[in-house]
Amino acid sequence: MKNDTESQWRRDIIKYRHFYLFISPFFILFAAFSLYPVLFSLFLSFMKWNGLTQWKWVGLGNFTSMLYDDILWRSLWNTLIIGLLYIPPMMILAFIFAQVLNAEWLKLRAFYRAALFLPCVTPMVVIAIVFSLIFSSEKGVLNYAIMGVGHMLPFLHLKPIPWLESESWSKTSVAILVVWRWTGYNMIIMLAGLQGIPMEYYEAAMVDGAGVWERVKSVTMPLMRPTFAFCGLLSLLGTVYMFDEIFVLTNGGPGVSSMNFGLYLFNLSFTDFKFGYASCVAYTVAVAVFFITLAGLRITRQREEAK
Amino acid sequence: MSTSPKMRRMLAMGVFYVVLTAIAFLFLFPFYWLLISAFKTQAQIFTIPPQWVPRPIIFNNFAELYRQTDLFRAFLNSCIISGGNVLLTLFLCSLAGYAFAKYPQARGHGKLFNFILASMMIPGAVTLIPSFLMLVWLHLINTYWAMIIPGSASAFGIFWMRQYVSSNVPDDLVNAARIDGCTEFEIYWRIAVPISKPALAALGIMQLIASWNNLMWAFVVLRTSNMLTLPVVIYLLQGEVRTPFGMLMAGGLMTTLPLILAFLFFQKQFVAGITAGAIKQ
Repeated sequence: MKNDTESQWRRDIIKYRHFYLFISPFFILFAAFSLYPVLFSLFLSFMKWNGLTQWKWVGLGNFTSMLYDDILWRSLWNTLIIGLLYIPPMMILAFIFAQVLNAEWLKLRAFYRAALFLPCVTPMVVIAIVFSLIFSSEKGVLNYAIMGVGHMLPFLHLKPIPWLESESWSKTSVAILVVWRWTGYNMIIMLAGLQGIPMEYYEAAMVDGAGVWERVKSVTMPLMRPTFAFCGLLSLLGTVYMFDEIFVLTNGGPGVSSMNFGLYLFNLSFTDFKFGYASCVAYTVAVAVFFITLAGLRITRQREEAK
Repeated sequence: MSTSPKMRRMLAMGVFYVVLTAIAFLFLFPFYWLLISAFKTQAQIFTIPPQWVPRPIIFNNFAELYRQTDLFRAFLNSCIISGGNVLLTLFLCSLAGYAFAKYPQARGHGKLFNFILASMMIPGAVTLIPSFLMLVWLHLINTYWAMIIPGSASAFGIFWMRQYVSSNVPDDLVNAARIDGCTEFEIYWRIAVPISKPALAALGIMQLIASWNNLMWAFVVLRTSNMLTLPVVIYLLQGEVRTPFGMLMAGGLMTTLPLILAFLFFQKQFVAGITAGAIKQ
């Protein structure tokens, strides 16, 4: 019997050898740069290693170090604040523009779409440097504009803002850059979601006498919930692992006021060369983010079912 | 004064378009600032009130860039790396995607595919250090391969190609080719690839943008100045004491323009790619 199944196996493999042949180039690279790293990273989480000397087993030592790592907690806190600062305005702006672009009567559609979307394709280095010019506290065009408004409306008592020089504003500057960069991306996803809503739903709502706002509230919003959840998930991951934006605009500064998790992890890995500890931190946060995502998805699903 | 409903409506429309256009211009403003700053001297960049149009227009930044930096070498490096990465990704993903679409009876087919899908959940941060070490052990640090290979085994790419091939390449056509004596690879190369051109274009443009803009990985694996890509060279132009902003902006313009052109040509495919990523959820 055993021989039979074994030869059956072999015959199947030979019969479909092209399948295995065709996926093998992918799988070799996949194994080398995704699979093996995931396992090796887990192994390193229990080691102390700088990449040069022999690694040393430290057991759960890396995990306990995390508890006392002030900068790690600061960077996670900053990640949360930056997320809270940029996600709501970005989502609202993206949703409004998706709605507008979805309207059939809109003129200059290609222009509006390209204007919002172009930021997503540009190299972050270049744009972050342009923003550092715009944000410049004394000679920047943004403060120039603010002072102009302050001149016209003196009762607002507007002062130039130290965008990149002060610990209290650096996160806001990052958030502005991120809104600028990622609104178009979310807009495109929401636009696809909107186009998936059958026209009949709106027509039925109109027959029931629903106004524009009521149609958005009772037809669009509930049906768009999965799309919002997806955009939210992307933004969550994007905030935790964000690198280019912060690395170039503030490099986490001043102090560590705008250091997010992604930048902190990069510094741990490739500035401090704490390969063991960095792996441990990366793993722990990845698992935490995974469970947060899962919980988030479950909540949205439950609310869906409760309806 | 009585305004007719029609007048009021037109007024509302006017306000609507003005607001919309203002926001659109706000989003385009950094590009404008990049463009004009490339044609200004350091002093012109920092005058208050700002010069909205450079007076005089300076071309010196580009000449200085040519004289002082290896930006043209970096441009070439970026082209080789992005081009290589795009081609390799397209080949690997379309070949494996084709296999997953057209041999559903093969043993382990479903498990392997689910495995790839599950791997999309792994964030790059977890694989960063081991991937780097892998390149060290393979003696690929500071080579083009270090930039080309790691990102090319894209799980999303496989998913995307499989979807397209299974709904656009008919089984009858594959079987007919088989009867005509085509080898399996010829069926893939002569039939599936030409049909999949739209999907390949979408995957290619997404990969191109990611690869061209890649800063972090380039920082980690490229070491000598003759190997650096455009984003790294631009980043390193920033000085500790004094940053030559005019030159930086000129270089920035050269880094950005190819992507803007690629985007304008392939806008539709790019949008299709992003949307597909959302629908799979």
